[in-house]
Amino acid sequence: MGNDLKDEEDNFRDRAVTIRLRSVSKYYQSSQATLRVLDNIDLDIYQGEILAILGPSGCGKTTLLRQIAGFDHRESGSLLMDGQEIVKPEVKRIMIFQDFNQLFPWKTVIQNVVYPLQVNSIGESDAANNEIALQYLKLVELSGFEDSYPHQLSGGMKQKAAMARALTLKPKVLLMDEPFGSLDALTRISLQNLLLKVWRETGVTIVFVTHDIQEAVILSDRIAVMGRGTVGIKKVIPNLLDRPRVVGVAGYAEIYGYVYSLMDINSER
Amino acid sequence: MTNKDSSRNKIKTRLFWITIILITWEIMAKSGAFPEAIFPSLLDIARALGDSVVSGEILLQTGFSLVLILEGFLISLLAAILMSSLAVSNKVFNGLVDTLTAIAHPLPGIALLPLIIIWFGTGTLSIIVIIVHSVIWPMILNIMTGFRAISPVYKEAGLNFGLNHFRIIKDIMIPASLPYVLSGMRIGWARAWRALISAEMIFGAVGLKGGLGWYIFKQRVFMDTPGMFAGLFVIVLIGIIVEDYVFAAFEERTVKKWGMI
Ligand SMILES: Nc1ncnc2c1ncn2[C@@H]1O[C@H](COP(=O)(O)OP(=O)(O)O)[C@@H](O)[C@H]1O
Ligand SMILES: [Mg+2]
Repeated sequence: MGNDLKDEEDNFRDRAVTIRLRSVSKYYQSSQATLRVLDNIDLDIYQGEILAILGPSGCGKTTLLRQIAGFDHRESGSLLMDGQEIVKPEVKRIMIFQDFNQLFPWKTVIQNVVYPLQVNSIGESDAANNEIALQYLKLVELSGFEDSYPHQLSGGMKQKAAMARALTLKPKVLLMDEPFGSLDALTRISLQNLLLKVWRETGVTIVFVTHDIQEAVILSDRIAVMGRGTVGIKKVIPNLLDRPRVVGVAGYAEIYGYVYSLMDINSER
Repeated sequence: MTNKDSSRNKIKTRLFWITIILITWEIMAKSGAFPEAIFPSLLDIARALGDSVVSGEILLQTGFSLVLILEGFLISLLAAILMSSLAVSNKVFNGLVDTLTAIAHPLPGIALLPLIIIWFGTGTLSIIVIIVHSVIWPMILNIMTGFRAISPVYKEAGLNFGLNHFRIIKDIMIPASLPYVLSGMRIGWARAWRALISAEMIFGAVGLKGGLGWYIFKQRVFMDTPGMFAGLFVIVLIGIIVEDYVFAAFEERTVKKWGMI
């Protein structure tokens, strides 16, 4: 098994690195102690891949993703995107949050999606921006809800709208922090499929944080497994299952089992 | 739908009790238990109101008061938004605004009247100053509370879309804190209205115009009790219109429609 994976890893050797983390450390200072959430993290994110970041809750997934987004200060290390140091949030890396309430409640769905276009003066006119926004709403299968306000949408629809809003600026990288974590199982599967469709059609690179092994296996090209404490990234596992994937497809059990074994699920006994 | 039903119910209940109160009033007035000069009948009050409307006097005074309170209100609203925005942008300014609010908020406008008369005289400027004082501090307190209550996700999404600091405040923080701004406006309005009427009573008229407060006060000098009640009636009417048709309607079209409250 280990050997197979080594060979498989070679498949990624020649792919372009979009984001490169080297010795990234992030601490949280509390009154008693320093919590070393990220300690010397190394990670390469390849252009066009879906990288799942998988780990138990509290292991630092959000902290890592926020570092990549550029939201937070870090203690040390370097974080490069296309060779340039990441120091602040930028439109080429758009974050989709776990919180269903990330759309602006005072704007309709279409106004939410148009807004980033207006801010960045993308279209030549309001009508042009509207046209772009409508296309992305269609892509995420939310046509017909343009004029709804976010509070009128279900959780899944809110996350779809957030995806459309994130995509309008054609980011190179989508950063997703357990975006489907609070959805019911069926809606989650349908949003996973939608995300894969969006990924195929846009070619965007996706860093997808989850604590769900199944979700990581279904979605990703590689899985970065994080551990509790200051373990950081234990291992990055290539996931070369043929797409489209469903639970139980050939090879599914092997990779699921391997990831499971890395997760120390029974270690708390 | 239920919303409409409940508001219709509310109006029904109100009309019912108003009718009861008016009938009781009329019985008391007609019973002769009190002299007419103290307890005028509804007809007398209505006649006083009608005369005053026809002569234009009460409209003139009401207009005068409304223009003043609107001016003061708008100035305060803009100043409060400006000061709160500066306070969230700058630590030093935040300390200053916080301290100023802590000192000034508990001070009733009327307590400042003598000082304001010394500083600004007894003209409309002084009245504006009192209104601004009444509105601006609760406004700032509410806006700042609203700013602090905003989910960080909204601001972070905004930063991610490339918004600068000014647009974060204008496009995100202000609309996101609108429920708080609205309650600040309600408190501010109530305070300003009280301060205005009191100040007008004390300042008297400049020429013919002295506002509603002055109008009521003046009727006492003439022992025109029905006229006094006519003035009070207008004050109540304005209060109800502002609450139900201005604030409530604004709320209905904004924060309620957006599901923010
Ligand atoms: N702003 C913060 N201040 C202090 N501690 C924090 C903060 N954010 C997260 N932490 C701590 O850092 C650890 C990792 O958190 P997080 O990255 O949110 O984990 P995950 O997303 O994997 O659940 C947790 O122990 C959490 O309590
Ligand atoms: Mg998290």
